[in-house]
Amino acid sequence: MIGKLTALLFGAAILTLGCGAPRAPAPPGGRIAVMAPSAAETLVELGVADRIVAVGDFVDWPPALSRLPKIGAYDAPNPERLVELGVALLFTTASEAGRGEHARLEQLGIQVVALDTSTFAGTLAAIAEAGRQVGREAAASALLARIEARVDAVRRRAAAAPRRRVLVAVGHDPLFVAGPGSHLDELVTLAGGVNIAQDARSPYQMVALEAMLERAPEVIVDSADNRQGNPRGMTAGFWARWPFLPAVVQGGVAHVDPWQLLVPGPRLAEMAELMGRLIHPELFGAPRALDFTGHPEPAPPALPAAAAAAPR
Amino acid sequence: MSELRGKARAARERARSPLALRLALVTLGLAVALGVAIAIAVSFGAAEVPLWRRLLGGVWSDAQRAILLALRLPRVLAAAALGGLLGVAGVAFQALLRNPLADPYVLGVSGGASLGGVIALIAGVGGLGVPLAAFVGALASLVAIERIATSDGRLTVFTLLLTGAIFNAFSAALIYFLQSVASREELSAIVFYLMGRVPSPGLATLAALWAAGIAITLALFASARDFNALTAGEEGALQLGVDVERLKRRTFVLGSLATALAVSAAGLIGFVGLVVPHLLRRLLGPDHRLLLPAAFLGGASFLVLADLAARTLAAPTELPVGVVTALLGGPFFLLLLRRRGASLGG
Repeated sequence: MIGKLTALLFGAAILTLGCGAPRAPAPPGGRIAVMAPSAAETLVELGVADRIVAVGDFVDWPPALSRLPKIGAYDAPNPERLVELGVALLFTTASEAGRGEHARLEQLGIQVVALDTSTFAGTLAAIAEAGRQVGREAAASALLARIEARVDAVRRRAAAAPRRRVLVAVGHDPLFVAGPGSHLDELVTLAGGVNIAQDARSPYQMVALEAMLERAPEVIVDSADNRQGNPRGMTAGFWARWPFLPAVVQGGVAHVDPWQLLVPGPRLAEMAELMGRLIHPELFGAPRALDFTGHPEPAPPALPAAAAAAPR
Repeated sequence: MSELRGKARAARERARSPLALRLALVTLGLAVALGVAIAIAVSFGAAEVPLWRRLLGGVWSDAQRAILLALRLPRVLAAAALGGLLGVAGVAFQALLRNPLADPYVLGVSGGASLGGVIALIAGVGGLGVPLAAFVGALASLVAIERIATSDGRLTVFTLLLTGAIFNAFSAALIYFLQSVASREELSAIVFYLMGRVPSPGLATLAALWAAGIAITLALFASARDFNALTAGEEGALQLGVDVERLKRRTFVLGSLATALAVSAAGLIGFVGLVVPHLLRRLLGPDHRLLLPAAFLGGASFLVLADLAARTLAAPTELPVGVVTALLGGPFFLLLLRRRGASLGG
């Protein structure tokens, strides 16, 4: 599942890269490989799904991509597979560690585009950059305009509401939370909340549970440790051990599948609206069952027409 | 040979010198120090809990009571028991191997424990499953290492050391393999598990850790004279009437049990079992009758204070406690080495 991101690796995966100097787009029409789930969603949204020939191990959404050849995890694609598949353009999450490898791939004639989705602004910039690289600037601009309009609507609606204290957990053992700089922090703020981990030192930070208990969150958005089979929804779960927490008393604890919130890409607007429903249900309406779950399993591939029509 | 006899005689004389008073003073002093360390550690944390005002008649909120009684106090008491176990295991292995560089992790049991824990994490076993699997892994490696290192009914220290090192390397390789095929969530769980962290355990776990710590310390203490004799070498100890084979086997098992418990409960926390015995040996001399209880109490204080630093230095961020013990222990150990120079060479 794409969404099964846990704290450290999530941080490592999206805290990355710096695209460096803007690069000229690759020649149009070349084959594309994409490592990160967020970039994969963006490319499909921009209408270039048919050019994508390979994906990172963790890409299983959108369904159009879930059955493509896998080429490795994180920002470490297998160069032999890339060459074999004739990839001309690689979308990855750049990291210091990956820089040398990216240079080597460029020598092999593969253009590497490293997208920075570590922040809200970075996610928007990454959509624009992806559009430029695949020659779909107009589609990217339209997508960005749609996202920004919906996000603005959330922001405006929440503007007058009282700020509620929110904790966003992305890992339990140890406790990892979203801190300043993360897109989650931005989403909390624009949806009428105050992130109680504002003094965390990085976008995803290991923190002391006692400090978070002391700050008495009114809403807990928990995307941690969501192995399959774990409960989803408005349920006190892990936090019920602390019955004095306002979030537990008021039923403000939401266990949300990481897919809903931890893949910063074209679904940012949906994430903002979901955050609105979790923090201010009186303004945005109560959360729905689908708000907590992962993406639906992709439908099985259609049988080839000939096979389907064959007499039994 | 006569030199050996001389050493043996010196060891015997040390062993005979009246020590009851020193033992009482050292134990009492270190116990008071541990009490002070625990009191300080319970008083500070990422959250503010007016501990002393409560004792003067103030009132805690529900959150403050939970923070203190469900999180902080169990963690401080766990740190004490774990530090004690590691300190005692360090003394035991240093005596067994007659090498001051031995630490609780040198004889392979920690590798088996880590591997067991990692397998449990990948299998998706939650709660107490991980420490239990780690303990089973540690016991399995303990038995295997003991079998492999025994030939003709004798436990050879050299073979034991080599077997332990190979066991650790083998476990590490298997863990790397498991990490490379793990999913993202499993990988991060493994990384944090191996990093080492003092838990806030329930009452039963806490009682078990403390009971085991005290029992193992007392069991090793019963062999303290034999350890003193062993410093003169196996032959010297034999001449003094020590059942060296039994002593080695017992020490290996008890030290490994202490290590297994510590690693199962808290992962790999380095330097405690190395630095604490060294410091105490400098302060108290080489007599194991003083050293063993002192290592339990001293290790306990050391880890309580190191964990306090890990909890508070960057609050609300938590630092891995192994980082703190390394930062405190590493330079200190180098300083000791430099001061004592070649005399540490064993």
